[in-house]
Amino acid sequence: MGGTPADMAIPVDWYLYLSAALFIVGAAGMLIRRNLFIVLFSLELMLNAVNINLVGFSRFHENLAGQNFVLFVMAIAAAEAAVGLAIATALFRNRQTLMVDLFDRMKG
Amino acid sequence: MTEKILFIVFAALAVAGGIGTITRKNVVHALLVLVFVFLNVAAIFFLTQAYFLAVVQILVYAGAIMVLFVFVIMLLNLRTFEQEEQTHRRQRWIALALSILVLAEFVIVLAGITFTSARGGFTPEVISAAGGGTKVFGDALFNNMLLPFEVASVVLLVAMVGAIILVKREKTAGATTRVWEPGERPTPEALEEEV
Repeated sequence: MGGTPADMAIPVDWYLYLSAALFIVGAAGMLIRRNLFIVLFSLELMLNAVNINLVGFSRFHENLAGQNFVLFVMAIAAAEAAVGLAIATALFRNRQTLMVDLFDRMKG
Repeated sequence: MTEKILFIVFAALAVAGGIGTITRKNVVHALLVLVFVFLNVAAIFFLTQAYFLAVVQILVYAGAIMVLFVFVIMLLNLRTFEQEEQTHRRQRWIALALSILVLAEFVIVLAGITFTSARGGFTPEVISAAGGGTKVFGDALFNNMLLPFEVASVVLLVAMVGAIILVKREKTAGATTRVWEPGERPTPEALEEEV
């Protein structure tokens, strides 16, 4: 870690390992679970993992662009949650279930 | 040294909470564990001296987005799906193995990399001399990132309109929807009749 700023208490690698672990947990949840809500939660987990990376590198490179970008990721996450939940509501109203593998009407 | 210990603690709690989120059967339990994960991530932002983002993380994520989820879960009057199978039967083990494989790849790649700081100049001393993290953050946001900021507001507007249109109940005359009992799996024939 030759390039780490002397005043940075936590090595930047640690952020990357944490972020990778959280991202993989989210990806695994998305692939394994059938419940649409859990799939949306996994998506939020993955977005948070990306945010940790951005903040860690923002501190490491002493540059605020990374922190600014986290705000945009949060805005997109909010938009995605709103639209995703609206779709979930509409789907539940029509099909009375939230298990994603039952939504296969468009399969040819 | 204290920061390193705190980082390890919060990181371990965050990952444990993440695993808890994707293994809970009850959706509300999973949601509460997810809020716990977000609080831990906010603590890690605090440790990184991104104070404004830590507060935004708590307010927007743990506050607003999760409350939105809670509202929808309550509004939908979900029967518990706990009796149903929670995982995809065909792909769960493949997915788990692939996830562990990708994690191993990440670790192997990261172990072989040394990063060099770009020294952008915004050290904690510079930031506190310039009036604090939030002021510097706002300066950077409204000068360098003004256009993306405005685009983000348009995206939020589009999402709001889209959500309203998607949820708006259309007037259907005499359409009856079948209700499945908890634990009963809708048969393909029943789903076909529904149209």
